[in-house]
Amino acid sequence: MTTTEKPETAAAAGAPEYKVIGTRPVRPDGVDKVTGRAIYGADVRLPGMLYGRVKRSPHAHAIIKRLDVSKALALPGVQAVLTHEDFPEPAEPIMQTIRGPQPTAWDTERQMARRKVLFKGHPVAAVCASDVHTAEDALDLIEVEYEVLPAVVSLDTALLPGAPILHDDGKADAVEGLFELVDGKPSNIARRLDLTVGDIEVGFAEADVILEREYETSMAHQGYIEPHNGTAIWNNDGKLTIWTSTQGAFGIRQNVARTLNIPLGDLRVVPAEIGGGFGAKNVVYLEPLAALLSKKTGRPVQITMNRTEVLEATGPTSGTRSWVRMGAKRDGTIVAADIRLEYEAGAYPGSPMPGGARCALGPYAVPHQRIVGFDVVVNKPKVAAYRAPGAPASEFAVESLLDELAERLEMDPMDLRLKNCATAGTPRSDGATHGSIGAREVMEAVASHPHYRSEMGGRDVGRGVAMGFWQNGGGESSAYANVHQDGRVTLVTGSVDIGGQRAALAMQFAETMGIPYEDVNSLVGDTDTIGFTGNTGGSRTTFATGWAVYQAALDVRAQMEQRVAQMWEVDPSEVTYDPKDATLRGPEGKEITFKAAARRLPGTGGMIQGQADIVATNVGKVGACYGAHIADVEVDRETGKVTILRYTAVQDVGRAIHPAYVEGQIQGGAVQGIGMALNEEYVYNDDGTMVNSSFLDYRMPVANDVPMIETVMVEVPNPGHPFGVRGVGEVPIVPPLGAIANAIFDAVGVRVTRLPASPRVILEELEAAGGT
Amino acid sequence: MRANPEARPIAGGSDLLGWIKEDVQGTGEPRWNLLVDIRTIPGSDEIRFDEADGLTLGPLATLDAIEHSPEVQDRYPVLSRAAGAAASPNIRHVGTIGGNINQRPRCWYLRNTEFDCYKKGGNFCFAVTGKNEYHAILNGELCYIVHPSDAAPALMALHADATIRTADGEQTMPFDEYFIGPRQDVLRENVLQQGDLLTRIHMPTPSPNAGMSFIKAQRRGETYDFAVVNVATVIVHEGDQIEDASIVLSGVAPTPFRAVAAEDALRGQTVSDGLLQQAAGAALLRARPMTENAYKVGISKNLIVRSVREAMA
Ligand SMILES: Cc1cc2nc3c(=O)[nH]c(=O)nc-3n(C[C@H](O)[C@H](O)[C@H](O)COP(=O)(O)OP(=O)(O)OC[C@H]3O[C@@H](n4cnc5c(N)ncnc54)[C@H](O)[C@@H]3O)c2cc1C
Ligand code: SF4
Repeated sequence: MTTTEKPETAAAAGAPEYKVIGTRPVRPDGVDKVTGRAIYGADVRLPGMLYGRVKRSPHAHAIIKRLDVSKALALPGVQAVLTHEDFPEPAEPIMQTIRGPQPTAWDTERQMARRKVLFKGHPVAAVCASDVHTAEDALDLIEVEYEVLPAVVSLDTALLPGAPILHDDGKADAVEGLFELVDGKPSNIARRLDLTVGDIEVGFAEADVILEREYETSMAHQGYIEPHNGTAIWNNDGKLTIWTSTQGAFGIRQNVARTLNIPLGDLRVVPAEIGGGFGAKNVVYLEPLAALLSKKTGRPVQITMNRTEVLEATGPTSGTRSWVRMGAKRDGTIVAADIRLEYEAGAYPGSPMPGGARCALGPYAVPHQRIVGFDVVVNKPKVAAYRAPGAPASEFAVESLLDELAERLEMDPMDLRLKNCATAGTPRSDGATHGSIGAREVMEAVASHPHYRSEMGGRDVGRGVAMGFWQNGGGESSAYANVHQDGRVTLVTGSVDIGGQRAALAMQFAETMGIPYEDVNSLVGDTDTIGFTGNTGGSRTTFATGWAVYQAALDVRAQMEQRVAQMWEVDPSEVTYDPKDATLRGPEGKEITFKAAARRLPGTGGMIQGQADIVATNVGKVGACYGAHIADVEVDRETGKVTILRYTAVQDVGRAIHPAYVEGQIQGGAVQGIGMALNEEYVYNDDGTMVNSSFLDYRMPVANDVPMIETVMVEVPNPGHPFGVRGVGEVPIVPPLGAIANAIFDAVGVRVTRLPASPRVILEELEAAGGT
Repeated sequence: MRANPEARPIAGGSDLLGWIKEDVQGTGEPRWNLLVDIRTIPGSDEIRFDEADGLTLGPLATLDAIEHSPEVQDRYPVLSRAAGAAASPNIRHVGTIGGNINQRPRCWYLRNTEFDCYKKGGNFCFAVTGKNEYHAILNGELCYIVHPSDAAPALMALHADATIRTADGEQTMPFDEYFIGPRQDVLRENVLQQGDLLTRIHMPTPSPNAGMSFIKAQRRGETYDFAVVNVATVIVHEGDQIEDASIVLSGVAPTPFRAVAAEDALRGQTVSDGLLQQAAGAALLRARPMTENAYKVGISKNLIVRSVREAMA
């Protein structure tokens, strides 16, 4: 299925010998998933459970004049109806988000509109009934009177002087830096970010060649198979339990507790098996609604979205516009880059523009940079994180312009990139400097790869390459390990398993202990049964939670040394745990295996539990990640169709704990990037209605639309992690956009600057170039 | 069915059930509340070939069965390929030829409950002022849907006839007359009235000199995707000499579109690049693209040229 090569790398020489790491064992959830037994959020069944549905706004921008739910309430079978009036006032007026402070009320209003609706699909009420059809029928009985306002559905209309203003409630005034006046007037620009390195005036003065261009990408959805869901039971004792499909139970707990104004300790969030998230399942949509409906009825309530709701009313990634100007010397040295990014945030502030800004030039050493980013609100659903949030769009722009520079300078595109490659110590756009990174190793692996060096034959075929950079995340993770009498261990972490983490964590634990993978039973805890753990996102889990399980294993080892010392009546310092053969050794040749020692635990003070609670960023260094993709395409000039003929993804993976899952991440990310490049787009009517809100019209590519994605894993271990792990999940979505656009140019000589490159775009560009 | 205005025949249900779930309705489109399963009619899924008589298809023959019928593959390859180009293997196993011909259009305003357009009995076409990348470039009037069927152009290219059962009994007509445009009735895409059934499809044995081609331009690679443009072509020829041409496109007009001007330009001529370009140009002469779909004009011309070449190869 996968064809992988493992080239020699600089660091591979002195690489330690691992027994478990690098192997490909079966994941603990595998059997349940392939036999259909895994319990996903919507599979949760509780006695007396009610089913909820959400009444959504048909308008993208409107004032709610009247809301009457009485007829719905009167429908037999309907148990309760929920509106904004059921939501408490926030305790704290301002909340912190990863994209800066925001009025807390807006987050509640995002979940249930109050005065205004800001996107089509915005919830205005929710109903629960004994069955889902009754709930559905009840929605039609809810009467809402709207005063429809003009909708802002593009960056152009949002930024126009005199544009309709989305956030006119004055709440932003209390938050520094949010919606500052532009030319003395309110605007839809939520935030502006300025990053500067050096002095671009100086840089451009040194340039022999200067190119500039503008690029656009469309809104795109993560496209996970499993729709959002939430099940809640609010008990009479005030305790609330929520089952949900999420990337992080603790994040959901935080958000729900804030929205409902309840103590964290009263709320337990149980993460179900998850059918994909890619960033979007860090966000709360249905859980507080189900909780409040449960509170009203005293019964469990479950709400599940359908596909249209998922597409129209959850968080895709931004539609963007990027303008890039770059200058280079004749020898290919890039001296300056000036970048302006405009990202749609959707209805509330918080686009991934900062990610785009910080990553745009990540693979390169550019002495003089200015990056200005704008976070722009529009009447569309609030965007959410999507795999390397913000990076695909800005890096598409830079990678496309670099390709043009290479052409102008008559250089090989990889040579140009290698010449300007970032290395340890290179200043980053965000003011930090790069640590140990594998950018050069990745570029060299591309330049020497047989795919890159092969000849291309045929008409209208072309090859493109592009780099990708993502910073990766660290953060807080917990783990504990219960040692059983038979020497097996149950490992519990707080990291929801989306991509095989249970296996990857068990492997790191087993490696540290020197025990077989099969002896570790790897589970995901809930918010009451495991210590705080950040979301599974930002490519942090195998890295940060991996660190926690490593520490937990060290804790087990230390405790075992103590117990064995007790048994042997020696000083604990005289006993060492040797992970090579999972054996404890003491003075005078004394030794006992871990298994044998475990058997004797009950008689020496009881069973033991190792545990760890770490903040990865404090203990090690998050390893940034680089990828480079090579795409061969064929462009049909007569139909505008682009077919990918061959595709190779090269990536520095630090250390591949479970190579098959790493390959899976690379391939999955590449296909999503290919979707952004060729197929996927949100098509909006001028009134703010998404017209292609089904998978049929959304046209996501699936397995049989793409060739085999060849993967090449370069291992430049991250010195900031015990096993050298770098997060690998996000970066592979970044390069496809540029690689494919560059390949299209190579094939037919047109620069596609707006994605997706649909037949229409290709044919229009060809016609503009006089090439049909 | 005739007595109940809310009754509808159901064959494989692959289109109808989606339509019902999407809740497409309006003053001109009832909410179907009675489905009459017609798969139980004996023999209605036949595929019968007879050298003298030609090919007879029951409307309940599945797309998959038609695609893989040896006789169809051998004598009517354009139909085999068209049937095989529709939807996905799963849908072709349940989807019938009758359902494919009678499936409802895919206009995204039509299939969205928020838009009460002409086709549902409303008084506006949202595609005209809206997103019309996939809409009609030819013969649109009031409504600008494109006919969604891949099989229909092949049937027309093969000069097939439709037999229908109406209140007045059985009636047979060429498929050229079966499909009707919005000017005739914006609420329907064919002649069938409430309660009528398509009962038989028949087409003559093709000339031994007939070459055939079916080409579909779609956005995705292999996964189901309605045609941006498709073309079914049957050329009767002796070497380079074209005796007769039958060329029908879907994805361009509210009904499958017979490229009469191209057929006329080719008939009796010797094939050449110039001739093909001229014929394709003539076929699209009356194209009136909307704001976002001019690209389809070029695709249509290119596919006509390509398909004639393929049919004559
Ligand atoms: C995801 C998807 C992708 C698709 N892609 C394509 C594509 O690329 N190309 C393509 O051509 N099609 C495509 N289709 C349509 C598919 O081919 C049709 O759904 C199928 O052929 C319909 O056959 P059926 O037997 O299921 O019809 P049904 O759904 O049972 O019926 C369809 C309609 O025809 C009427 N009907 C059926 N039989 C008769 C009859 N004998 N007389 C009178 N009325 C009748 C029904 O009342 C109903 O209105 C796609 C469908 C889906 C769901
Ligand atoms: S093209 Fe036809 S179906 Fe589509 S909106 Fe216009 S009238 Fe309705």
